[in-house]
Amino acid sequence: MEVLHFTQLDEKLYYEKLANGLTVYILPKKGFSKTYATFTTKYGSVDRTFIPIGKEEPITVPDGIAHFLEHKMFEKEDEDVFQKFSEQGASANAFTSFTRTAYLFSSTGRVYDNTKTLLDFVQQPYFTEETVNKEKGIIGQEITMYDDQPSWRLYFGAIENMYHNYPVKIDIAGTIASIDEITAEHLYTCYNTFYHPSNMLLFIIGAVDPQEMMDFVRADQAAKDFPQAQKIERFFDDEPTDVAIKHRTLHMDVQKPKVYVGLKARETSLQGVAMLKHELALDMAMELLFGRTSAFYERLYEAGLVDETYDAGFMLEKGYGFSLIGTDTNEPDAFIQAVKDELQQLEKHIAFTEEEVAREKRRTIGATLRQLNYIESIANQFTRYAFNDMNLFDVVPTLEKITAQDLIDAFQSIQGESQQTSFVILPLEENA
Amino acid sequence: MFEKIKIAEGVNLYIRPTTQFKTISFSFKFRTALTKQSASQRTVLSNVLQHSNAVYKTNAAYRSALDDLYGAVLYFDTGKKGTQHAFYMNAEVVNEQYLAEDQVLDKMMTMMQTALLQPNLQDGVFLDNIVAREKQIVTERIAAVFDDKTRYAQHRLMQILRPQGAASISANGTVQDVATITATSLYETYQKMLSKDTIDIYIVGDVDVREMAARIQSHFAFTDRMPYTQTIEQVAPQPFDYVREQQVMKQGKLHMGFSTPVAFGDDRFPVMQVLNGVFGGYAHSKLFMNVREKESLAYYASSSYLSHYSLLFVTSGIEPENEDKAYQLIQQQLQAICDGQITARELQQTKAQLKNQLREALDVARGQIEVYDQYKSLKEPFTVENWSAKWEAVTAQEISELAAQIKLQAVYFLSGKGE
Repeated sequence: MEVLHFTQLDEKLYYEKLANGLTVYILPKKGFSKTYATFTTKYGSVDRTFIPIGKEEPITVPDGIAHFLEHKMFEKEDEDVFQKFSEQGASANAFTSFTRTAYLFSSTGRVYDNTKTLLDFVQQPYFTEETVNKEKGIIGQEITMYDDQPSWRLYFGAIENMYHNYPVKIDIAGTIASIDEITAEHLYTCYNTFYHPSNMLLFIIGAVDPQEMMDFVRADQAAKDFPQAQKIERFFDDEPTDVAIKHRTLHMDVQKPKVYVGLKARETSLQGVAMLKHELALDMAMELLFGRTSAFYERLYEAGLVDETYDAGFMLEKGYGFSLIGTDTNEPDAFIQAVKDELQQLEKHIAFTEEEVAREKRRTIGATLRQLNYIESIANQFTRYAFNDMNLFDVVPTLEKITAQDLIDAFQSIQGESQQTSFVILPLEENA
Repeated sequence: MFEKIKIAEGVNLYIRPTTQFKTISFSFKFRTALTKQSASQRTVLSNVLQHSNAVYKTNAAYRSALDDLYGAVLYFDTGKKGTQHAFYMNAEVVNEQYLAEDQVLDKMMTMMQTALLQPNLQDGVFLDNIVAREKQIVTERIAAVFDDKTRYAQHRLMQILRPQGAASISANGTVQDVATITATSLYETYQKMLSKDTIDIYIVGDVDVREMAARIQSHFAFTDRMPYTQTIEQVAPQPFDYVREQQVMKQGKLHMGFSTPVAFGDDRFPVMQVLNGVFGGYAHSKLFMNVREKESLAYYASSSYLSHYSLLFVTSGIEPENEDKAYQLIQQQLQAICDGQITARELQQTKAQLKNQLREALDVARGQIEVYDQYKSLKEPFTVENWSAKWEAVTAQEISELAAQIKLQAVYFLSGKGE
C-alpha cells in the first residue's frame, strides 16, 4: 500500500493495485461519520463496439446497454440488493455516464458489511430472460420521463448536432426500441468484457481506517476467481472535426424558448497532466470570456437576452469535448448571433490580463478546496480524473503553472465557425 | 452542537466550531409571516441585492470581487416553512489556513456587510431599471414551474388540496404580486425586514466563538425586535377531488395527496416518519417494491411527508393507460399498512435508514445548520441519540393505527393529449 500525503491540503490518500488488477484508493476524512464508496467500471454508453472477452471479432450491441446492465446488477436470484443495503443502514445507488458506470453506497455504520455487499453484488451477475424483460417497462418509463424534460432534450439536441459518428450523440439510456432488443446474453457479454477488476476502480472515503479497509478488500478479492486480465479493444468510427448539423429547433410545451450554442472541441486526445492543464486553461478562458463576470454576459444581461438560467461551461473526455453556452431567452436568434459575434471578435483579438488570470486561479483554488468538504464529490471527481490518468490532487499545483498564453492556446480548440452549432427549443405554435 | 448567543431581542447567533471542513459557512435567516405579497417582495429583494450594491455597482464587479476572495460563495435566497417566509443570506469562504494569504475572513465579513447593508441606491430607493429587470426574472422563474412536469403536477395537486393558505403559496410569490412591486415599495420591504424580522444567524467552521460573535456584533448592529412565532394554520378539509389534465407530453404523472393527523413536533411525529419510510420513502419501501420492482409500472414511485402541513404525498411517473392500475396498487400499499402487514424487516430497514440519513446530513455544514434549525424549536435539546431512540421505539401497531387515520384527499393526473 502506498501513501500519498498532500500536506498543503491536509489529506492522506492510500493506494494499492491488487493482484487481480483492481485499483483501490482510500481517503480517511477526520470528523466525518459517513463512509462513501464508489465501485466504478470504465465502461459507459459510448462503448458500443468492441471485441468481447475471449473472442476475435468486434460486435456492436444495442444502444442503452451499459445503463440497462447497471439496473440489472441490483437484482439477484434470491433478493433485491437495495433491500440488503437498507437493512444495513446504507443508501445505495448507481449511475451510468458516457464513459463510466458507478455503483455506490453511503452509510454511517456497518462499513465492512456494506463494502462486502457492494463488492459482491457488482462481481456476481445474475441475468435471466425473465428479469431482463421485466426491466424494460421500468427503463421505458425512465426514457419517457427524460423525453418530457426540455432541459435534457436541449442538452442532447446540442450534442447530436455536434457529432457525426461519435456515440456520445446517442442517449445514455438508449431508446424504447433499442432496449427492447437487449437479451440476457448481451448483458453477460458486456459484463464479462468490461467488469473485470482490471477495468475498475474502488474509492472509499470518510470514516474509515485505511490499513484495515485495504486488508479487508485485498482478502475479499483474493478469495474470488477472475480470468486473466485482457486488454479491452473498443472501436470508434472516424469523427470529422467540424460539427454535423449547424442548427436545429424543436417545439415543446414550454413557456420560454431555450437555447444552447455548442462549440465542438478539436483537441480530444490528451490524457494525464497535459489533459489536466488543457482542461483547466480552457475552463478559465471560458469563465473569463463567457462567465458571469465577463463583459459579454453583462452586455447581454443589460439587453435582456439572458436570464438566471444562463450557463457557460466546458467538458472533456477522451474522444469528445465541447463547450455549451445557453440560456432561456425570448430572443434565441439574437442570443445565438451575439455569441457568434463575440467568438468572431475573439478570433481577431484575444488577451487576458495578469490580474484576470490571477483571479481565475484564486477562484479555482477556492472551488477545489470547497469541493474537498463533500466526500461524494471527491470520490466521483477522483474516479473521473483517474480514468484519464489525472489526479484530483494535482489540480492546485498544475493551476499555479498556468499562464495567460495557456488560456489563449487552449481556447483555440473550440474556435472557428466550423465548430459552432445551435439548438433551440421553442414553445408550441398557437393553434398547432 | 451549536452555541447560542443572543445579540438582541429576536436576533440570535448560533456558532458551531469544528475542524471538519476546509471552509467557514454562514447562514442568515430573516423570518416573517408568509403571504403572497411578502413572498413576492422578498424574492425580488433577494434578486436585487444579489445583483449589485453600493461598493460593487455592477453584477460583474460584485462577482469578480467574490472570485478574488478565492471563489467565495455569497447568495440571497427565499424559502418557506409552515406559515413562515424566510429570506436567506448564505455564504461560504475558504478557511485561510489552507491559503497563502490571510485576512480572507476579514474581507468576507466586510463583503457580507456590504451585500446586506449597503445596497445600490438612487434617491434613497433601489434603481428602477434593476428592479424592473429582476421582477421580470422572478416572474419567469414562477412561470417556469410549467416546464418541469413533475413540479407542475405537484404544484397543481397542492392548489387542489389547499386552495387557501400557506401550503399552496410559493416561496417565490405570484406573478400578480410581483407585478405590483415598485422601487419604493421594495425599499420599504427591505427596511422592514432588517428592523422587524426575527433573525437567526448560523456559523459553522474552524472559528473561535467569542471572536466570531464580536465580529458579527461589529459588522451587523441588529436592534431589538418582537420575536416572530410560528402559528399553526387551521385548514377546513376540502371535499375529495380527482382532477385530470392534459398537456403535450408522453408520460403520465400520478400525484396523490393525503391528510394526516400529525404535524411537526407532535408526539406521533416519529411514528409518521417511520410510516412514510415503510410506505414509500426508500428503495425498500412498499411503493418501490410493488409499483416499480414487482409490476414494472414506473421508474419512480415514492412518498414524502410534509410535516409542516400535515400532508403525505405519493408521486409516480407511469404509462398513461396504467393510471387506474397504479392508482389501485398505491392505495393497496397504504391499506396493507392499515391491515398490519408490516414485516419486522421493513421496520428495521426504515429505522436504519432514518438514523443513517440524519447522521449523513450532519456531515455537511449546511446540513448541520438546517437540521439544527428545524429541531431547535422543539422543547427537548436535539441529539442524534435522542431521535434515534424515538424512531427505535415505534411499533408496527402504532403505524397501523396512524395509517387508519390517513385520508386520501385529492388525486391529480397529468398526461399527454393527442396531437
